[in-house]
Amino acid sequence: MERLSRRSFVKIAGAATGAAALAAAPPIARAAIEEDAKRTNPTARVPEEPVVAYVRDAKRGEVTVTSGTAEHTYRDRVLVKRLLRAAGRKDVS
Amino acid sequence: MSSHREAPAISQDPVADNADTYAFVSPDDPSTVTIITNYVPLEGPPGGPNFFEFGDDVLYSIYIDNDGDALPEITYQFQFRTTYQNPETFLYNTGPIGSLTDPNWNKRQLYDVSVIRGHGPGQNGKKQHHEQDGQGRVIGGNLACPPCNIGPRSTPNYDALAAAAVHHLPSGETVFAGQRNDGFFVDLGAIFDLGDIRELNTLHLIPTPTGTSVDPLKTMNIHAIAIKVPISMLTRDGSAPKDPLSAKSVLGIWGGASRRKVQVRDDNGNGTRGSGPWVQVSRLGNPLFNEVVVPVGDKDRWNAVDPIDDTGFEEYVNQPELARLLPVLYPHEFPNLAAYTADRADLHAILLTGIPQGIVPGFQNFTGPHPADMLRLNVAVPPTTSNPNPIGLVAGDAAGYPNGRRVFDDVVSIELKAIAGFTIPLVDPSYSVDGAVAAVSSYLTPGVDRYQSTFPYLGTPHDGYDTPSS
Repeated sequence: MERLSRRSFVKIAGAATGAAALAAAPPIARAAIEEDAKRTNPTARVPEEPVVAYVRDAKRGEVTVTSGTAEHTYRDRVLVKRLLRAAGRKDVS
Repeated sequence: MSSHREAPAISQDPVADNADTYAFVSPDDPSTVTIITNYVPLEGPPGGPNFFEFGDDVLYSIYIDNDGDALPEITYQFQFRTTYQNPETFLYNTGPIGSLTDPNWNKRQLYDVSVIRGHGPGQNGKKQHHEQDGQGRVIGGNLACPPCNIGPRSTPNYDALAAAAVHHLPSGETVFAGQRNDGFFVDLGAIFDLGDIRELNTLHLIPTPTGTSVDPLKTMNIHAIAIKVPISMLTRDGSAPKDPLSAKSVLGIWGGASRRKVQVRDDNGNGTRGSGPWVQVSRLGNPLFNEVVVPVGDKDRWNAVDPIDDTGFEEYVNQPELARLLPVLYPHEFPNLAAYTADRADLHAILLTGIPQGIVPGFQNFTGPHPADMLRLNVAVPPTTSNPNPIGLVAGDAAGYPNGRRVFDDVVSIELKAIAGFTIPLVDPSYSVDGAVAAVSSYLTPGVDRYQSTFPYLGTPHDGYDTPSS
């Protein structure tokens, strides 16, 4: 079910993690996060209330995000592809 | 049993495993109802140094339906947190524990109790909603659990510690959460050895010499969440009903445990962090429902859904597997049961709707036609304070199971007899009960130490030094 746009999704997820700066970042910085993800090492503990996104149905482009006691599922094929690429899946078209 | 490790998934998660639910009019305080939900089944008393406790990442719930719609109008929820006085020692306690604030007691649990009234926006949609889970109105905060019963050096006056952990809340409820003696009794070893009853060994399909039933739970502890609530705070109209035949006298009660949808484990041993809504992983109304009625392929699903969703499990009650097994396991002993092919309206009433008026004179605990597994307690039936019968309603003691469930009720005998056909004549007078039903029993009489006469009614837990004794 397509509940919100991808940009809205990023805003919600970011706000809940304290990463709202990403959504509010200037255009150059925002462009940077559109690039392919770079593998890095975590810099902090798992946060007290982590925001978790997982690909629920790759074919349908469904991604579910949990934050606090809320859970929402979005249809966002671009985001699903990026997540699958970041996961090292070779079968992403 | 009665719901100890009863389903594949929850058997891997003891702190969330609702092993027994009890609900009864408090015998020493009959203007109140006591509800107990037990967790952490089969606790061995010497299990240190990290003695048993509730799960800090589990939401424990007690649900009360007071208008017969199989949805909770009142939900009590309990959340725990563990603290350490001294993380530099491996010891649970560094000396005798003399009080609930004793500095010698290292590893402690505290909890909050909250209440949710109403069952959310879906009340007309025949669905139980969990959006408010964990967000109810807090009616008791930072309440202390007692320690586990370690032994004579560490917990020399255990009963005083347990008594200090009975908390009277300003809102009117009384609560206790902590280790107790497990009041449930059954010959686990025999019953799961192809439905054996040792006293009937010679009649079994695979016969052995007659034996004597053994109760392995008599040396085990449990973790109990108990709440005592004035009846007038539970009924639909705020009254304390006196007429057992009034619909408002009946409460539907069940327990449940939930975990967060996602758990993220920290790389450095700092535990896990939860995210997402609470998801139910265990529930329990009637004893033995999921244990012996629901087949293994559906048990995890049953634990995940709510009583309002039990329509999908009706077939297992109507045609119970155990009723088909008994004539096979005990050849020639249950010919009438073997020949009875009609749906079991007696079990359907006992387990899923309550017993309507006209079946047992002067009694009913009917909550309506919607099938839902709940304990059904008629609060207008006064407690039996003199020689209560552990066989309960079918033995003429209307204060016992299946009118709610008392801690000492012999639910194994009651349900085995019922499944074996004892209650069919209540709905089908033409049925003749097999003679062998009289011999179907748990054959166990629990010791007096299993219970106590006052809240929380389950007895002092066994201490780890003395149990087992050899």
